[in-house]
Amino acid sequence: MHPISIAMITDFFHPNVGGVENHVYMLSANLIRRGHKVIVITHSHQPDRVGVRWLVPSLKVYYIPFVPIASSATLPQFFTFLPYLRTILIREHIHLIHAHASLSALGHEGILHSHLLGVRTVFTDHSLFGFDDAASILTNKLMAGTLKNVDAVICVSHTGRENTVLRGELFEKYDGKTSVRNSVYVIPNALVPERFQPCPPEPSDTITIVVLSRLAYRKGIDLLVAIAPRICAKFPNVRFLVGGDGPKLIDLLQMRENHLLQDRVTLLGSVRHNDVRSVLIKGSIYLNTSLTESFGIAILEAACAGLYVVSTRVGGVPEILPKDMISFANPDEDDVCDAIEEAIQIVSEGRHDPLRAHERIKTLYDWHQVTGRTEAVYDAVMASPQLDLSARMQRTMQLGVFAGPIYTIILIVDCLFFLLLEWWMPREDMDFVREHWDQDAFAELARKASKTE
Amino acid sequence: MAEEWEKVLWRRQDRPDNYAPPSFLSSLRRNANFRPYTYWPLVLLSCAITQHLATIFIFVSVFVRLKENYLDPHVLVCISVGCFFTGYLSWELLDRTGASHEHRHANRVKAVKSSILIFLALMSLSPVLRTLTAATSSDSIWALSATLFGVNALLADYSAMSFGGQMHERLTSVLSMNAAISASVVLASRLANDLAVFALILFSVQAFALFPRLRHRLGLCPSALRLAFTVVLSSISVLVTISLSRTATWIYSAVQLGVTFFAPAILVWAQKFKNEIRGPWDVAVPKVN
Repeated sequence: MHPISIAMITDFFHPNVGGVENHVYMLSANLIRRGHKVIVITHSHQPDRVGVRWLVPSLKVYYIPFVPIASSATLPQFFTFLPYLRTILIREHIHLIHAHASLSALGHEGILHSHLLGVRTVFTDHSLFGFDDAASILTNKLMAGTLKNVDAVICVSHTGRENTVLRGELFEKYDGKTSVRNSVYVIPNALVPERFQPCPPEPSDTITIVVLSRLAYRKGIDLLVAIAPRICAKFPNVRFLVGGDGPKLIDLLQMRENHLLQDRVTLLGSVRHNDVRSVLIKGSIYLNTSLTESFGIAILEAACAGLYVVSTRVGGVPEILPKDMISFANPDEDDVCDAIEEAIQIVSEGRHDPLRAHERIKTLYDWHQVTGRTEAVYDAVMASPQLDLSARMQRTMQLGVFAGPIYTIILIVDCLFFLLLEWWMPREDMDFVREHWDQDAFAELARKASKTE
Repeated sequence: MAEEWEKVLWRRQDRPDNYAPPSFLSSLRRNANFRPYTYWPLVLLSCAITQHLATIFIFVSVFVRLKENYLDPHVLVCISVGCFFTGYLSWELLDRTGASHEHRHANRVKAVKSSILIFLALMSLSPVLRTLTAATSSDSIWALSATLFGVNALLADYSAMSFGGQMHERLTSVLSMNAAISASVVLASRLANDLAVFALILFSVQAFALFPRLRHRLGLCPSALRLAFTVVLSSISVLVTISLSRTATWIYSAVQLGVTFFAPAILVWAQKFKNEIRGPWDVAVPKVN
């Protein structure tokens, strides 16, 4: 593919850590490796991360001075981002923006504004949402509004795609028949297998079950609290190793106290992403009790580190691993217990080979392949014709009796605001970015600097 | 065509990434836990609301009569006491199946104690309550009490008690009772003498604090009894209002009929728009023994 300039826009980025943050960084790094130019636009972070920073390998990050309101997301405000975005996109000669995460207001705003500059748009949805609570209804409508005019949508699993298509109303009418828009893609997440090299524990009778997760209700910690004493009572050679922190920590502590399991259930507290492997390789079974999961990268990491996986059958989890590497259970206590018993049997009989599992995962999910598939999406988007303003207005009006006109007004006001900015801050007066990071020049300078010292 | 498409991510399949299989959205379930309402049970359930509206209108007409001196406060006190004993008797009858003997005995002692306490407290407070809003104009009082009664009707607990269910005092039902008592206090402060104030507040305690509890219990009674009770209460409320104002009676009767017969019909009709979506992406409910 011909190299292009891409801007990743998301509220969730380094220095915060998490699934989306890591995905955006890894995707950017791999796109740079393939010769594209990539920048990231995100909001500022406390205490002083604001302005332009560079990350290895030559990834430029714009930290816009917006303050996040809750869990690192900014307030949806529709217009305030436009002056910044316009300047950045023009300065950096961007061809395409790629917004991430459906709760990222910055990403949605990016999709809303980009067409004004003729920039193409791609959106990746990382999470699953329901349809029945007030928060979901509001955010779903907000998302449907922006996704009406997006050029392509990427989801991380097939279940995630079904969910996103319903939430974002991504249906199109082809000669009378309603079907899914053909610009909705499924591209899974990936991981760096070298970081999860297995290290089979010395043969011993003890079987360690590892749990690494945020200790919250949605992660099914209630199930863990219920099954841990049962498993410990049944198998005297089983230990639990729990990493993570959260509101349900207190329940785990109480369970440990009540059943006198201090020597068999170890609570590590929060584990940094760099230390995940060192925790994983201490065990031979990984337990995931999540109640909802769009992809489950933690499961993949564990499987890659050679652990046998036991998981609840929720969301996109059933899609990610072949049946012989994972045992499934319904989210109820008895079923999870049965699945763990099965797993203990498999592991103690030596029917699960960690090194072979690692080799398999290595070929299944690697960034090189994922980047290639993402590139194909960019290619298709760049080749497709761009919607003009009247088509955009028509599509926006389909949103509904109330939401349609509101979004159309926002669209028109946005155009007017853009015209105002064109007059007020003309393009001719801007400083364009002509130089980009040159690794060789940098190495040369670094060498010179060390010589003079 | 090549191999069968599978809903998996771990195997690269020779289809483009935007391939939508025929099985797309096959796990989507619409209105899975949906039990449609039928008309008559809804009408029966709306009886609780009708009864509540009736008590409010009876109370307001009693107030107007007291204010215009059509009604002797002594008579009202007697009626209140009579209502109290009737209500208490029916409460005891309904309670017979419930709690144990000792428990009920303790409850009875408590009830007698607190009714004497309320009686005395109201008596000593009524001179204060009579002059409470002397500095406020009557128009503000009408508006305030109308708002408070509105709040009372909106937040009231209309649920019926289920068998063996415990009584849960929800915040909204407490708020509702407070709104009604405040409304009666401000209305009472418009009356001329202490005895009238006392009689009205006593009546309001019966109507807005004790009656809703009894109504909650009545949910266990056979539906014919509940219907009969509703009809009697509504007729009383219409009869006491009609001699005061024709217009008010017309409006009130229209509201009563609307709440009882028209609103359930709208709900039954609106059910055809129900579209509840369930699928594998929903947050599972963990089952813990």
